[in-house]
Amino acid sequence: MSDLKTIINIKSLKKSYKKESVLQGVNWQVKKGDIVGLLGKNGAGKSTLIKSLLNIVGIDDGEITIFSESHRTLSAQSKGRIGYVPQENDEISWLSVGDLIKFKKQFYHHWSDEKVRELLCRWQIDTKKTMAELSPGQAQRVLIILALAPMPELLIFDEPAAALDPAARREFLKEIVTLASETDITIIFSTHIVSDLERVANKVAILDQGKICYFDDVDTTKENVVQLAIHHDESLVIDPPHMLRCRKHKLGQNCVVAKIEQSWLAEIEAKGVDISINQMGLEDIFLELTS
Amino acid sequence: MEQFIISPSSGVPIYKQLFSQIERMVLNNYFSVGEQLPSVRQVATSLEVNPMTVSKAYGLLEERGYLTRLRGKGMVVAMRDDAVSQQEKLELLNTMIAQLFSQAQQMGIDEQEIITLVKASITESTLKTKESKE
Repeated sequence: MSDLKTIINIKSLKKSYKKESVLQGVNWQVKKGDIVGLLGKNGAGKSTLIKSLLNIVGIDDGEITIFSESHRTLSAQSKGRIGYVPQENDEISWLSVGDLIKFKKQFYHHWSDEKVRELLCRWQIDTKKTMAELSPGQAQRVLIILALAPMPELLIFDEPAAALDPAARREFLKEIVTLASETDITIIFSTHIVSDLERVANKVAILDQGKICYFDDVDTTKENVVQLAIHHDESLVIDPPHMLRCRKHKLGQNCVVAKIEQSWLAEIEAKGVDISINQMGLEDIFLELTS
Repeated sequence: MEQFIISPSSGVPIYKQLFSQIERMVLNNYFSVGEQLPSVRQVATSLEVNPMTVSKAYGLLEERGYLTRLRGKGMVVAMRDDAVSQQEKLELLNTMIAQLFSQAQQMGIDEQEIITLVKASITESTLKTKESKE
């Protein structure tokens, strides 16, 4: 689709640490305006993928473009359009929050003092405290403010919810939703918390075994991936198309399919087989797709 | 926006949850014709869901004739043909009945038993309405 601009394009990305191969040929494209939730088990390489993308770690092989520029030689202007919140707070710990904000501001063309003020106030952050004196949750919020202040067009969060309590997480989600309704911002966030993803993301990407093994609309995913409870006598063997998993039992079988083939369903129902279709939450779907 | 409730972890996509909720609210005359619905942004921020999800639900409701987009006013409840909305109410009930039947079938409850149950339930609720009127 030509009207949807590709913001990020990753081709055959490979990355290993010493002997351990983490990314084994990642292909992935993110379009403008998408809010993508990046799921993956612990150690799947979500942070590595994000850091590779941002050229924080070097890559072994492959090609990455951001705003149609190579990620290695990204112009200062393009860099200014990207906001990034790392998983761990690596900001200068002895600076006060106020000074850190002033320091960071110098590097950007665009900077919204208003947004900074509003969020500092809403999230009750004492700007006189140093980063080291803040709780992990408060420090995380400062990092989020620093990423939002330059009014980025692309925002990347690595496990933003890790240090936040449920109420703070909700506040953070609200901020993402506000940004998405005001601007055409593109957001990628890696997470373990599937329910956060279900609320705000329109796309879900799953990183498993070194690759993006799944990438689709959240809605389409929920509509397509379903559990089938099939009741029939033991003699019959039914193999649904697009099967992910199947467990046979005395009275039939329980299967998970990536998609229901309507013609197959009609055919099987015509044979008098009783099938009930159960929709699944994203968490269950994630487990099915990665096991 | 407290009038809308969603359950993000459900297998039913959020836009569908919103769609059926508003559909029911319109059919149950919870909103009056011409009444303005909250903006996409208001719903999105209050429920903390992606604005596109809300637009999708509103778009679908517009397509089905429940809502109309008014310039400068956003989405309002559409004027509906009584016969059509009667038909839709019946269809909605029909889906619910179909679900009831399939559940009953799974439980091994036969047709006659269901009909008896339904009749008993109707008698009970008419009695209650009478009582409350008295």
